[in-house]
Amino acid sequence: MEMESLPNGNSAAAAAAVAAAAAAAAAVAPSSKLNQLAESLKLEHQFLRVPFEHFKKSIRANHRIVEKEMSAVISGVADAANADFSRDEAVHHLNSLVSRLQGLKRKLEEGSRTEHLQAQKCRARLDHLESADADNLSDWNNMRLKRILVDYMLRMSYYDTALKLVESSNLQDLVDVEVFHEAKRVIDALQNKEVAPALAWCAENKSRLKKSKSKFEFQLRLQEFIELVRAENNLRAITYARKYLAPWGSTHMKELQRVMATLAFKSNTECATYKVLFEPKQWDYLVDQFKQEFCRLYGMTLEPLLNIYLQAGLSALKTPYCYQDDCTKEDPLSQDSFRKLALPLPYSKQHHSKLVCYITKELMDTENPPMVLPNGYVYSTKALEEMARKNNGQITCPRTGFVCNSSALVKAYIS
Amino acid sequence: MELGNIKDTFDRVAKKQKLSSSKSQEVIDQVGHEIENALAKLQGDPASPVDQKSILVELQTKLSIIGSQSQLEGSQKELNINLSKYTKLLEKSFNPDISKAYRNVDFDFHTVNQIIACHFYRQGLFDIGECLTNESGEPEDTALKSHFLEMFQILEAMKARDLEPALNWVSNNREKLKQNGSNLELKLHRLQFVEILQKGGRADALNYARTYLAPFASLHMDEIQKLMACLLWAGRLDSSPYSELMVPSLWEKLAEELTRQFCSLMGQSYESPLSVAIAAGIEGLPTLLKLANVMAAKKQEWQAMKQLPVPVDLGREFQFHSIFVCPVSRDQGSEENPPMLMPCGHVLCKQSIMKLSKSSTRTFKCPYCPAESSVGQCMQLYF
Repeated sequence: MEMESLPNGNSAAAAAAVAAAAAAAAAVAPSSKLNQLAESLKLEHQFLRVPFEHFKKSIRANHRIVEKEMSAVISGVADAANADFSRDEAVHHLNSLVSRLQGLKRKLEEGSRTEHLQAQKCRARLDHLESADADNLSDWNNMRLKRILVDYMLRMSYYDTALKLVESSNLQDLVDVEVFHEAKRVIDALQNKEVAPALAWCAENKSRLKKSKSKFEFQLRLQEFIELVRAENNLRAITYARKYLAPWGSTHMKELQRVMATLAFKSNTECATYKVLFEPKQWDYLVDQFKQEFCRLYGMTLEPLLNIYLQAGLSALKTPYCYQDDCTKEDPLSQDSFRKLALPLPYSKQHHSKLVCYITKELMDTENPPMVLPNGYVYSTKALEEMARKNNGQITCPRTGFVCNSSALVKAYIS
Repeated sequence: MELGNIKDTFDRVAKKQKLSSSKSQEVIDQVGHEIENALAKLQGDPASPVDQKSILVELQTKLSIIGSQSQLEGSQKELNINLSKYTKLLEKSFNPDISKAYRNVDFDFHTVNQIIACHFYRQGLFDIGECLTNESGEPEDTALKSHFLEMFQILEAMKARDLEPALNWVSNNREKLKQNGSNLELKLHRLQFVEILQKGGRADALNYARTYLAPFASLHMDEIQKLMACLLWAGRLDSSPYSELMVPSLWEKLAEELTRQFCSLMGQSYESPLSVAIAAGIEGLPTLLKLANVMAAKKQEWQAMKQLPVPVDLGREFQFHSIFVCPVSRDQGSEENPPMLMPCGHVLCKQSIMKLSKSSTRTFKCPYCPAESSVGQCMQLYF
C-alpha cells in the first residue's frame, strides 16, 4: 500500500528510486564492484608504507645504540688492559662497564617493545585492507573517508579534531598521529626561526638523506650562516662556514659562494641578489623543503589525501550542466562550495551518451529507452508508461505542462 | 595484488627482526658474563694477590673472540635485505605516488574546511564539527547545523521508540510533504497506532485512530481498514495476518524515509556531497593516474586542460545529468549544438546534421539507416 502520485524532478521519492537503482546495480554486478574495490586498494600505498618506515627507523636507531654501546664497552676493556690499573681501579672500571651494559639491555628491551608495537600496527593495516569485501563495503568505505579526513586534519594541524575523530571511530591503528607530531615539532621550530630540531632530524636520517642526495641540511646551515651575518657576527659566521659549509663545497660550490658573498653586504642591502637571501620568506622555503623531504622519506604524498581524491572526483563529475540553476541537489556540484573548488578543474568527458530520465532519475538505456513527446521533451519509457497508466493514457510534460496522448510518443534510438 | 603474499613477506621481516634483536641480547649477555667473570677473579679473595693486568688482557681476548664469532652482523644484514624486499614489494603492488594526477591549482582550504564541517553535521558528529570550526577558525554554518541538529534529535527519539518529535515535524510540514508526494505522516501514525495497540490496548488505540487516522480515511480507506482489523488481535499482533506491521526493520525504513524527506525539504541531498565526491574520486583516480603517467612529459598541458581527454567511467550512482554525445562528431550536446531527432528515430547533434545537409540545403541520409530526411523534419530534443 503506497500513496503514489507521480513524483516530479527533485522530489525525494525520485531520490529513493535512484538509491534503489544504485542498490540494484550493486546487486546485479557485484564482481564489478569488487573489481573497483581491488583497484581502489592499490591507492593505499601510504597507508602501508608510513608505519613500515616508522618501524624501520626504530630498528635502525636500536642497531645504532647497540653498535655504539658495545664498541664503547669493548674499547673500555681494551683501555683498561693497556693502562696500569690498581686492583681497585680495575674493579671500579669493570663495574662501570657492567652498569653500562645493563643500561643497554634496558634500552634494548624498551626498543624491542616499541618495534613489536610498530610491527603489530603494520600487520593491523594489512588485515584491514584484507577485510574489505562485498558485505561490509559501505562500512569499509566510511572508514576510508574517516581515514582521509584524519590525514587532512593532521596535516592542517587541527589536532583536537583529528583525535576526536580517531577516538570516535577507533581508528588508532589506522592513522599516523605520531608521525605528524614529529614533523610538527620541526616545522614549528622553523617557523620560529630555529634550525636545531631540523638539524637533529637530519642527523637521525643522515644515511637516507645522503642516499637521495638531499641538500636540505646544507640549506639549513646556509640559513644559520645568514642569520649570523644578519646579526653582524661576521667572525663567528666565518668560523661556522669553515666547519659546516665547507664540506658541501664540492657539490654545491655556486650556492656556497653566493651565500658567502653576503659577508660583504649588510642585511639591509638593496642589492637584489643578496637582499632576497635575507628575507623572512627564506624560512617559509625551508619549511616547504622540510615537508617535501619528510613526505618523501615516509612515502607520504605531499598534498593531503583529501585534496587528491576530491580533485579527482570533482573533475570526474564536472559537466557544464552542474553549474546551471536546475542542477539536481543530489549532485555535489550543485553546492556553491563544491562549484568553487571545481572551477579551475577540467570537465569530464564522455565517449557515449548517458541519459538520465528527468522524472525517475534512472538511466535511459536499451532496457528503458527514451521516448520523445511532440514538443521535443524526452522521458524514460518506464516513467511515461506509469504516467499513462494512472491518467488514462494522457501524458503531461512535467517541465512544460504540454499535454498529449501516449500514442503520440516516439521512440528515440541513442547509441 | 596478492595481499596474502604481502602479509607473508612482512611476517618474514618481523621474524628476522626478532632474530636480530635476540642475537643482540645474546651478545650483550655473553659480554656481560665475561666481564662479571673477570670481576669475580679480581675481587675473589681480598687477601691473596691478583694480577689485574693479565685478567684484563684475558678479558679483552675473550671479548674479541665473542666479537668475531657473533652472528650479530649477519643477522642484521639479513634483516636489512628483507626490509628492502618488503619496501620493493609495496612499491610494486601499490601505486607509489597517487599525487601524480594532482593539479597545482587554487584549492582553497577554507572552502574545504567548511565542506568538512557540514559533512560532520550531516553525520550527526556535532561535537567534532564544532571542534573543527573552532580549530580552523572558519565561520560556522549555523543554519545548516541547526537543521541537522533538529533532524538528528527526531531520529534519536525514534531510535528510543518515541515518535512525538517526528509526528510534530510532519504535521508542521504537511503541505510540503504532500507536494513531494510523500505519505510519511500516515506511515508514522500507523506505526504509532501499532505501538499503542501493543502497549495500551484497544481503547487507547481506538482513540488514537479516531483522532489521527481519520483524516486519511478518504484516500487510504483500505489501509485504515487493515489497522482497524488489527484491533482484534490486540496483544497478540504477531500471530495475526498483520504481523509485518511489527517488524523492527519498519522503524529503520521509516527513519530512512524521514531523513530523505527532511533533507529534501531543506534543499539538501540525501547523501553527504563530500562522501559522493570522494567516492567518485576513489573510482576515478586510477584512470586519472594512468592519464597523468602518459602525459608525464607535458606538465603544462596537464595543468591547463579544460576537459579531460579520456572518459572516466563512474558507476550509475554518479550519473546526475544527461550527457548526449553525437555518434558522428563525438561532440557533447550543448545549447549551441543541441541533439536533434530525425524522422527515423536516430539522434545527431545539430552541427552534424548541418554538415550532412550541406548547410540545410539538401536532404541527407541518416548514417544509421537508409532513411532520408531534411533539416526541417528534425526536432530539437530536451533531455
